Amino acid sequence: MTTYKLGIDVGGTFTDLFLWSADGAVDSFKTLSTPADPSEGVENGLHTIAASLGISAEEFAGKVTTIVHGTTVTTNAVLTRGGARTGLVTTAGVRDALEMRRGIREEQYNNRFENVRPLVPRHLRRPVRGRLDYAGDELEALNLDDLREAAQLLRASGVEAVALCFMNSFANPSHEQEAAHILAEELPGAYLSVSSEVLPTVRFYNRVSTTVLNSYVGPILKRYLENLTDKLAALGFGGVLLIMQSNGGVALPDVVQERPATTLLSGPAGGPAGAAAYAGDDCILVDMGGTSFDASLVRGGQAEMYAESELDRLRIALPMLAITTIGAGGGSIGRLDGGGLLRMGPESAGAAPGPACYGRGGAHPTCTDANVVLGYLDPATFAGGEMPLDAGAAKAAVEQHIGTPQRIDAEQAAAGMYRVINTNMAHGVREITVKRGLDPREFPMVVAGGAGSLHACMIALELDIPRLVIPPTASVLCAAGMLRCDLQHDYLRSYVCRFGALDDQHLKALVDEMINEGEAHLAGEGIAADERSHAVLLDLRYLKQYHEVTVAVDRAALERGDLGALASSFHGEHNRLYGYDLSAEGTELELINIRVRSLGRTEKPPLPVEADGSSDAGAAAKGRRRAFVPEREAFEELPVYDGHELVPGNLIPGPALVERVDTTVFISASFMALMDNQRSLVLTRQELRP
Amino acid sequence: MKSAPVIDKVLVSIIGRALKAFTDEMSICMEKTTRSPILCEAKDFVTGLYDAEGRMLEQTENLPILSFSLGPVCAHIAEKFSGNVFPGDVFFHNDVFSLGNQNNDVATFKPIFVGDTLVAWSATKGHMADIGGAVRGGYNPNATEVWQEALRIPAIKIIERGVLRQDIWDLIFANIRLDIVQEDMRAEIGACTVGERRLVELIEKYGLEVFEAHKQHLFEATRRMMEAEIRAIPNGIYEGDGRVYFDGKNPGSKYTIRVKITVEDERMVFDYSDTDAQTNGFVNGTYTSSASATLLTFLQMVNPAIPHNHGMIQPIEIIIPEGTILNASYPAATTFGNHLCPPNADAIMRALAPVIPTRVTAGWNNLLCSLSSGHDPRKGDTFVDIMFMGLKGGSGAMTDVDGYDHIGMIDASGGLLDQDYEMFEQQTPHRLLRHEYLTDSAGPGRQRGGLGVETRFVMGGEDLELVTFGDGDEEPAFGLDGGGDGTLNKIELHRPDGTLVTPTSKDLVTGVPTGTLYVQEAGGGGGYGNPRQRQAAQVAAEVRDELISPTAAREIYGVAVDPQTLDLDEAATAELRG
Repeated sequence: MTTYKLGIDVGGTFTDLFLWSADGAVDSFKTLSTPADPSEGVENGLHTIAASLGISAEEFAGKVTTIVHGTTVTTNAVLTRGGARTGLVTTAGVRDALEMRRGIREEQYNNRFENVRPLVPRHLRRPVRGRLDYAGDELEALNLDDLREAAQLLRASGVEAVALCFMNSFANPSHEQEAAHILAEELPGAYLSVSSEVLPTVRFYNRVSTTVLNSYVGPILKRYLENLTDKLAALGFGGVLLIMQSNGGVALPDVVQERPATTLLSGPAGGPAGAAAYAGDDCILVDMGGTSFDASLVRGGQAEMYAESELDRLRIALPMLAITTIGAGGGSIGRLDGGGLLRMGPESAGAAPGPACYGRGGAHPTCTDANVVLGYLDPATFAGGEMPLDAGAAKAAVEQHIGTPQRIDAEQAAAGMYRVINTNMAHGVREITVKRGLDPREFPMVVAGGAGSLHACMIALELDIPRLVIPPTASVLCAAGMLRCDLQHDYLRSYVCRFGALDDQHLKALVDEMINEGEAHLAGEGIAADERSHAVLLDLRYLKQYHEVTVAVDRAALERGDLGALASSFHGEHNRLYGYDLSAEGTELELINIRVRSLGRTEKPPLPVEADGSSDAGAAAKGRRRAFVPEREAFEELPVYDGHELVPGNLIPGPALVERVDTTVFISASFMALMDNQRSLVLTRQELRP
Repeated sequence: MKSAPVIDKVLVSIIGRALKAFTDEMSICMEKTTRSPILCEAKDFVTGLYDAEGRMLEQTENLPILSFSLGPVCAHIAEKFSGNVFPGDVFFHNDVFSLGNQNNDVATFKPIFVGDTLVAWSATKGHMADIGGAVRGGYNPNATEVWQEALRIPAIKIIERGVLRQDIWDLIFANIRLDIVQEDMRAEIGACTVGERRLVELIEKYGLEVFEAHKQHLFEATRRMMEAEIRAIPNGIYEGDGRVYFDGKNPGSKYTIRVKITVEDERMVFDYSDTDAQTNGFVNGTYTSSASATLLTFLQMVNPAIPHNHGMIQPIEIIIPEGTILNASYPAATTFGNHLCPPNADAIMRALAPVIPTRVTAGWNNLLCSLSSGHDPRKGDTFVDIMFMGLKGGSGAMTDVDGYDHIGMIDASGGLLDQDYEMFEQQTPHRLLRHEYLTDSAGPGRQRGGLGVETRFVMGGEDLELVTFGDGDEEPAFGLDGGGDGTLNKIELHRPDGTLVTPTSKDLVTGVPTGTLYVQEAGGGGGYGNPRQRQAAQVAAEVRDELISPTAAREIYGVAVDPQTLDLDEAATAELRG
């Protein structure tokens, strides 16, 4: 029996599915997302795949052994402020910490830069007396009257979720545990996050912000995963469902439900693994879908990560993919601003009503409408002909809202829209590279997303990037990458101790405890013993410092109790990061936390490789179409190729169009395309021809 | 003859952004490695890169008031040590009479070489927890001369060709109370080394000649951006003033900062010649702290995307005669000088409000600050902490934007952070009781000022001292165009025996008993426009959130809410607003 693995990436507009068959074949599919209940889109996707295989959805679901799933439900809930109505129960006197964000204004010289709206408004941030000191010793018992009053008010306000965060609970969780018990009684239906469970480390603002985010998206994720598992079960799916986490690893649904904040970047987190499979260990990944444009970076085969970061300026102190997101996608709406200047996005027509050309009631001109007017998209063959587009509606919308007010025709207006959105996206790539001192010209740019390959050449020209890689799975790259991610679980124990006084037996015991936990989790997830591994990391600092350096330690040195070896890796890392070390001064080290990162290696489905054929792509030519050539600011008759008929070795000089079911590639006049052995289109800059 | 390198505009932008990434990375180094909470929690430091002549390449200005003297000191060191600057050297400097801005702000400079050529300097400057002098922590309201304030460190070479001059090191740190200052100076050196490593990598990658040509192009492009901004201001002469209350010595004393701003096409001159004479106390500025104040205020009125390099400051001239309160003569005490920024900013805002009304703000809450120090028996060690979270009031509103809540003094503009509450309790023996927005503190207006905060903590530890420094307890942040003023600043000490001590705005309180309740209010910013034109629904929402009292809503904003549901009462509001 042929079995399958399936990667599913639910985006704002489309749900992407990547199918890998045990016989080595791969295929990709797309269905429209269903924002009201995204699991419907997933179900539709399974039906679509089953139909293409000529079997029933139930039969197909029964043959799927693994589904890896990335979702933007939690991300979108935060970005659109569409999360659960959330209350915060916190220590009396500090209820504004969440909104103050330590008093930062990120743009120091911009007096029009406003603070970000907090996820919990002030009247739902309820104070409770009771206090622990800096070491966790009780100074004042938890005030149960305050707590009940807070619970009543939150119940009356109809909150669906509650975050609980008390001062110094990292040192002693007892007040939070006591309060959690009572809140669970008083607010039985509410989703409750407890800070000492979500993030048991010192720093109040990091903890309260992360815990509130956790609560805010908790009910959303829970509802979603319940719907999803119900629908999959109803279809007879009996394999393993894994959820993509923001840290680039995958985990079981039950595990992510304990900390829903670990899914805040679930959607794009599979992308880097996918990009590296086609373009090597160092590349830029850009992903343009219907709603947003993401840029991330792979260096040395690993996705770039942040230990702490922000989503919409809200602090999350959990490991997350480093990514820049801007509001630019196929659905981005074009409009003229107060000064008459053309802007694209960040508003998006999304899937409903969608671009004007979808004919579903969308009246505003979008990026996709511009692409239809410019001739890049063929209305008849869009999405393999399954979703014909209304070119007249596209032109009318562009003309009415952009062209007429500026006294230009629809084609000129569409060219303007195309240029503006390309500039916006190039800026997103700059953010992740140039802003960090990296030269984008040194990285190949992998282009993902259904809409990306119509714009990639222009982004590359703007940034002088000489090489583009458009994988055969471009439109579903995150979904494809998810199947290449390992299971990953991060564990943490605090053991605050001067290095000299360290009990190496106790240290080893804590490490073993976490490794055992990791072993149990991974075994439960069906990972064979020889595929499990555990990295041990220590958070160390010089005495009296207040920030730690996380150092990977040699397990053998740990076993030997060789503290000298551990210290010397810390000195080296401190010098590399911060320009100096204090090994000569003999400054004592202090251990703060021990971390274990447990990895369960999954089988990486091999990607198909084909031998080179002829360089002549003539066999794949399917006609010509009038389309816009930006370098010459003119419409020309461009050759159109059927992307599925191309074979490795085929060369296509720009300007040209390559149509595939899932995406259309625009090769501008400045590029030459080659299909490589993995069926990626590799676009290389060529000298402009006369 | 070699031809000049061709300018690649993309490379200009990459180099510009790379320099910013480097100074940001140096800033992260400081934040992660320093010991004093003033540095690692509040980020009271700046980092920068300068060319061989000391011209600014880029800076990360967590506290901008510190930042605009680093370039001039690079030039000063290059001249003073001419022929005697080698790879591996490191210099220290804090001296206010050779271009330093404040005694506690001690800078480290590292020359950067490519081969044998001096190509640049990396520099870091942070507010040290102690710098010797008569009072722990450096703020001595009784000082009349610099020696009563601090150890002077004129430009000295502390490391020569990679070898530490241990005797000089020992001399300096024998005169400073806290060991952590040594560690924090090591952190400064480390951050400079990181800046050096990155810049050398960049220059070696593109070649020195290409780097120099593109640097020049970057300066010129930036200068043109700034000139365009100035050209957008009508030509003319604009005058404004700001007031300083109490010099720390003479009760009721008051001084005026007067600025005359001349705009002539793409040039701009800030002339402080009519400013009052220096005081005989420590309420005095230095040229570099006062000029930094001028620049950072003006930078808020122009395109925030202008890069911070030499080109940015070229079109601007700042005249501050010696002997004025903004540029005191040797050997005056000057530790308060950084805090003359708020009244200086008031003077500039008032001068330019009539001519560029959409670019200025109403008045910002002036700084009133405290520094507590003593013995922490938990650690058997001395502690010094500046109460950053307590000092941060609201900013002034603009024509179309509310002020920013709890942003703090204009010299930091939101770059200076609150201590994290739990870190505060780890690092000092104090215990926080309250740190929340202060109801009705914002200056009312169609756009309201930013909110101030109330801070309360119980002072722990032994041998406690409290120094206050600042202003804003007599004159509130001003409103504009019918907007109201913000509230005043206040600090009170409630001793365990029930007595109340209210320090003046520049005071040294010794013998503070353990268990004293510290109470501080940082006021709000000024409002803009008539408060009765503020959206009623917005006022009602702020009543529900207890940011505006029902009484203030009714009396000042003309907005009524239902006392039970707190919903907007539209009928009663219409009646109130007529």
